Amino acid sequence: MKDAGFILGSYFVTLGAILVFAFVTLRRAKESSQSVDEKDKTWL
Amino acid sequence: MSQVLQRTSATGTRATKVIGALAILVMVWVVVSGLILTPQDVVQGESVRIMYVHVPSAWIAYLAFIFTAVASASWLISKKHSMGFDRFAGASAEVGVMFMAITLITGSLWGRLTWGEFWQWDPRLTTTAFLFVTYVGYLAVRRLEGSAEQRARRSAVVAMLAVLEIPLVHFSVVLWRSLHQGATVLNPNGDVKMDDLMLFTLFSGVVAFTLVFVWLVLHRQRTMLLVDIANRQGLDAAIAARKTEGSVR
Amino acid sequence: MDLTPRTSETSRKPRRWLPIVLLSLVGLGGIVIVTQFLTSAIDYYCNVDEIGVRSGCKESTRLRVQGTVEQGSLQKTGGKTSFVMSFNNKSINVVYAGDPGGVFQECISVVAHGRMIDGTFESNRIEVKHSNEYAEKNADRLNSSGSAACSQAQG
Repeated sequence: MKDAGFILGSYFVTLGAILVFAFVTLRRAKESSQSVDEKDKTWL
Repeated sequence: MSQVLQRTSATGTRATKVIGALAILVMVWVVVSGLILTPQDVVQGESVRIMYVHVPSAWIAYLAFIFTAVASASWLISKKHSMGFDRFAGASAEVGVMFMAITLITGSLWGRLTWGEFWQWDPRLTTTAFLFVTYVGYLAVRRLEGSAEQRARRSAVVAMLAVLEIPLVHFSVVLWRSLHQGATVLNPNGDVKMDDLMLFTLFSGVVAFTLVFVWLVLHRQRTMLLVDIANRQGLDAAIAARKTEGSVR
Repeated sequence: MDLTPRTSETSRKPRRWLPIVLLSLVGLGGIVIVTQFLTSAIDYYCNVDEIGVRSGCKESTRLRVQGTVEQGSLQKTGGKTSFVMSFNNKSINVVYAGDPGGVFQECISVVAHGRMIDGTFESNRIEVKHSNEYAEKNADRLNSSGSAACSQAQG
């Protein structure tokens, strides 16, 4: 594929950013969740 | 990946699991179709493949900022001033900023291949950069000192002003002379000049990114609620401890 | 009861200055974008037929000129690329020192940066202005004399 570095790079940036955002969000949720009662987790 | 993350998640539900699984499925299709199945463009050649991630990320960033404005308006208008609106606005803006950053980076890579430049200060790129900077500012406003209510009020006003930039960004290629090509799908004539599989893959990208957006916003706003509760509990505990100390003396 | 603030804090303090610094930088960035770039962005280029006619398109100044590369005019000799660029029935000769590369070809819209010198536009930067049409690359659709863009332009 011509210009593969640019093309694959754009997919890598896109998927990488989404995965990092998801990972950081879930980690923060886990940290904050420990001190919160289950009854306050209204989505459960 | 999603399931591994979900197992340890404090903010996951059956709905987010379904959305996450669907997002992965559609995203895999977009990657396979975008990189392998779709044809080269007659003029741009292989570089057209960047379109399948660049355009959906721009659209979802717009969508995220519009949701932020609607949630902010709902917070301002509602009598109860439910903090749920504020958290949704904040979560949506964070995800929107991420998608806008993706748009700028992938657009820059695409620009290098087609225009021959990573960046030019043409109307579309300049207004998009300004939109991005504005929403980074919005996120900074959310982190200024003050009560939750102050945070919500300040950021709601910023969000409702910032959203007015979106039509300016979208129509910049029509209003002014731009190096950036005009809209293909959302063009004023409604005549879409794109081959079928290319168009289908582009729309698949929009679906995949929408699912990702919903998944991220649901988790992020629940995380914000957890942080707010944890902070409040910490404050209550500190006050109780000080009261106890005071009564002992 | 003593409720004065404690001096020794065991937990990590939030960096309260960070949002203010960030907000200042964002404000500065916004001002720079609006004052330095937005004005020139709005009038990003002059069309070929506007050179010496429209305000801001004086021949004596450095210009960004937009037009279409004429079919059959493209020549690459001695490390230079020359072509005729047209818009609205007006044409100029363009000489570019180098090979524009990328998707540059005949029948495509380009923005050339440079100056008019003795009736020729001497350019040191060429940007390709791609259309909003996307079609499958297919050898059968290309005619023998023209580029892919010419074939697309002819339908």
